[in-house]
Amino acid sequence: MICIPTTKARRRYTRRLAPTMAIYLVFLFIAQWTFHHHPPTGFVVYLLAVLPALPLIGSLAIVGLYITEESDEFERSVLVQSMLWGFGGALAVSTIWGFLEDFAKASHLPTFYVYVFFWILMAISQPFIRMRYR
Amino acid sequence: MKNRLRILRAERNWSQADLAERLEVSRQSVNAIETGKYDPSLPLAFKLARLFNSPIETIFTDEE
Repeated sequence: MICIPTTKARRRYTRRLAPTMAIYLVFLFIAQWTFHHHPPTGFVVYLLAVLPALPLIGSLAIVGLYITEESDEFERSVLVQSMLWGFGGALAVSTIWGFLEDFAKASHLPTFYVYVFFWILMAISQPFIRMRYR
Repeated sequence: MKNRLRILRAERNWSQADLAERLEVSRQSVNAIETGKYDPSLPLAFKLARLFNSPIETIFTDEE
């Protein structure tokens, strides 16, 4: 079994990420509810539309903070490698999907799914990266 | 990079977890270094050298 060790920096990372994701859910609810019940106009449309994205951007900054705070260089290296898999994989999937939309009439995928792909691929890659060092 | 960590650890009757605690890294880090699959940075290599009271070049050898 691949075990992900708990370091001080990782605990701080989890403590920061959990409330950020909770804020995301609240912002998403506020945006959806407002657009459904009281559709805004003018500048507020853009402000409200971007609102759920802010905590998600914050989550990327939290990953960045973790990298700077993690004193265990091996753990840092594993995370950076998994991030590269996440970034590369997300770009690859979205590029392939873009061409599928253009040429094969695949259904349109909202751009924010790149963020989802990033996290999924980053999470999937970690155990494989760790296996290389066993 | 090959190293003598396993021997040095055994001489002191330390487990990987014991060494990890002394180095303030995870046990997986110690295992990765010990098996030669991860080369530590200079600061960590110096920390190991200080811990085992041996010069770096007697702990690590640059042969594959």
